[in-house]
Amino acid sequence: MAPSPPRALGVALAAGAALLARRALHRRIDASPLWPLPALPEPISGQRTAQGPTTLRRVVVIERTVPADGVVQLRLASTATATANRAPRAGRAGNPLPPWQPGAHLDVVLPSGLTRQFSLCGDPADRAAYTIAARLITDGDGGSREVHEQLREGTEISVRGPRNRFPLVDSTTYQFIAGGIGITPVLPMLRAVEAAGAQWRLLYCGRSRAAMPFLDEIEALGSRGERVTVVAGDESGRADLSFIAALPAETAVYCCGPSGLMDAVGALLPAGRTPRLERFTASTASTGDGGPFDIELRRSGRTVTVAPGQSALAAIRAELPNVPYSCQQGFCGTCRQRVLAGEVEHRDELLSAAEQRESMLICVSRCRDGRLVLDL
Amino acid sequence: MSRSTLLLGPTCQYIDAMSHTRPSPVASDRIELKARKVSFDWERTPLHWVPGDPFTTHTINVLHLLLPAGERWFVHVYRQVLPLIRDDSLREDVIGFIGQEAVHSQAHDDVLPHLQRLGLDPTPYTAQVDWLFEKLLGDRTLPPGRASRWWLLERVALIAAIEHYTAFLGDWVLNADELDRRGADATMLDLLRWHGAEEVEHRSVAYELFQHLDGSYHRRVRTWATAFSALVFLWQRGTRFFMANDPSLVDGRASFAQFFRAGQQGVLPSTPEMLRSIPRYLSRAYHPSQEGDTAQAVAYLTASPGANGGR
Repeated sequence: MAPSPPRALGVALAAGAALLARRALHRRIDASPLWPLPALPEPISGQRTAQGPTTLRRVVVIERTVPADGVVQLRLASTATATANRAPRAGRAGNPLPPWQPGAHLDVVLPSGLTRQFSLCGDPADRAAYTIAARLITDGDGGSREVHEQLREGTEISVRGPRNRFPLVDSTTYQFIAGGIGITPVLPMLRAVEAAGAQWRLLYCGRSRAAMPFLDEIEALGSRGERVTVVAGDESGRADLSFIAALPAETAVYCCGPSGLMDAVGALLPAGRTPRLERFTASTASTGDGGPFDIELRRSGRTVTVAPGQSALAAIRAELPNVPYSCQQGFCGTCRQRVLAGEVEHRDELLSAAEQRESMLICVSRCRDGRLVLDL
Repeated sequence: MSRSTLLLGPTCQYIDAMSHTRPSPVASDRIELKARKVSFDWERTPLHWVPGDPFTTHTINVLHLLLPAGERWFVHVYRQVLPLIRDDSLREDVIGFIGQEAVHSQAHDDVLPHLQRLGLDPTPYTAQVDWLFEKLLGDRTLPPGRASRWWLLERVALIAAIEHYTAFLGDWVLNADELDRRGADATMLDLLRWHGAEEVEHRSVAYELFQHLDGSYHRRVRTWATAFSALVFLWQRGTRFFMANDPSLVDGRASFAQFFRAGQQGVLPSTPEMLRSIPRYLSRAYHPSQEGDTAQAVAYLTASPGANGGR
């Protein structure tokens, strides 16, 4: 039995309307596949301008030189890159490398899989290559030996970074103290502060002049006035550090070298002042070393003391057991907290410079000047 | 269960010793969850990383659009849930889960600048996904007490439903040998399989957390329906977005027929398999440990180049 005419008309009308709506929708979607969702005005995903925390970059050693006895200097350039349609061909020039600031270091993944950190000692304006230098440490764990023996011109390795844990702050006067290979992060700083016209002085200690890299360039930089003091152990014995106690309060103090030297500098500075130090640990940030400090938890109205060798996270967890955390090595970011006051010594491997200005990862980072205030 | 026998790499052959038994939620099955620091070198990954197959490439690429914001949101929600957990071993699992999800989000986020360098700007789409997770599913100004708890539980249940699919996809990609045969990019496969293996490894956590806090069957069904529809909606338009904006395609199109065929060929999950996974999640006897293979996942994680310092 056929449906009655009014009902058939209704079905036909509904089907026609559905077809029209479908066509209109398709046309709309074809015109813009992204219709119809609002967008976040300031997108978050994919906005990292610097090298991402999980990004590894393949580089090739393009130059290997020996700037001093027992020191090799390597220039690393990006390898060929992929294009839209095909994988890269060998021999093509790579992309410019990510930018960096004086004090930055690179994580180098050696052929054996060991990861070691090396300060960048070249020119930040040179986007084609990174320059690092390494001293051969015969009784070390083999990392520096591998650099000296395995990395030749043409060798490909992977690097992460650069990251900067040793940033150059704005100041009118600077005192740099470098011991041996510790000159590497300081060298780009010297060039930068000289170019900026700031007052600076450098104490550069080493075993012998022949084993101290970059001496010629440094002495040329310091030729105006007596800015550079070179103390070679075989000529003049140990350096006299007593001047550090009398440094004016506005002088920014930077030190990189053997831990004995860095500890001595820290001990000599008047109470309440801490030098800016660059320490290199095996691979990941270590929570262990570092002095005690207090953390005020502003919202909870409590203050906790972080003991030497204890992480800020452990101290805070004793008061606030539900404070979030996960990896405890400074890479997952779960424990990030907002910093309201105090100077943080960042030891994480995640936060960008902008994020470090307002927050910290409490699992690894510590305090530089005795007291932090967190929004917790 | 022949597909659990697979080649993990040229030198590492892994044969499932437990293929005759389905794992069940028993205490001996528990493994400690921890975030792994990973690194991937994208410089050599071409735009069409499944050679000659832009549709498959872009369908899988949608992961990079959804996961950075999505997994960041998981972490955001779970950070708020921690104080409500009354079971110490579950709390340990949730803490491990959060770290793994946070690194997943970072790793997929780091693919996006590479897509942009290759001429395919994902920002119009990711800005919408950001809105979805930051605003629509974000924290709301609600009266404390019942309303706030309702919204938190609703999101915990949504995460459990989504994790059913991430574990499904993780299990699929660990066994997707066809992608190797087609010469898919090794770095991208490693990212997907590291991620997939961790999803398989922690597949029970989101569900157990939901059961611990609420466990209402109605909520499970309701949030499954929401999550499933949203995933289908977001995924199809993500694929269409990539196909339409791919600089090397003149008139890129995506259709369900392509998806169905790719599933038959084994380069994407098969449609019947996906349909069969629906009643499994909705079954009252469901437990995530019935899906996937922890031993296989752990074996992959031990061998993954990206999860072992990027060698």
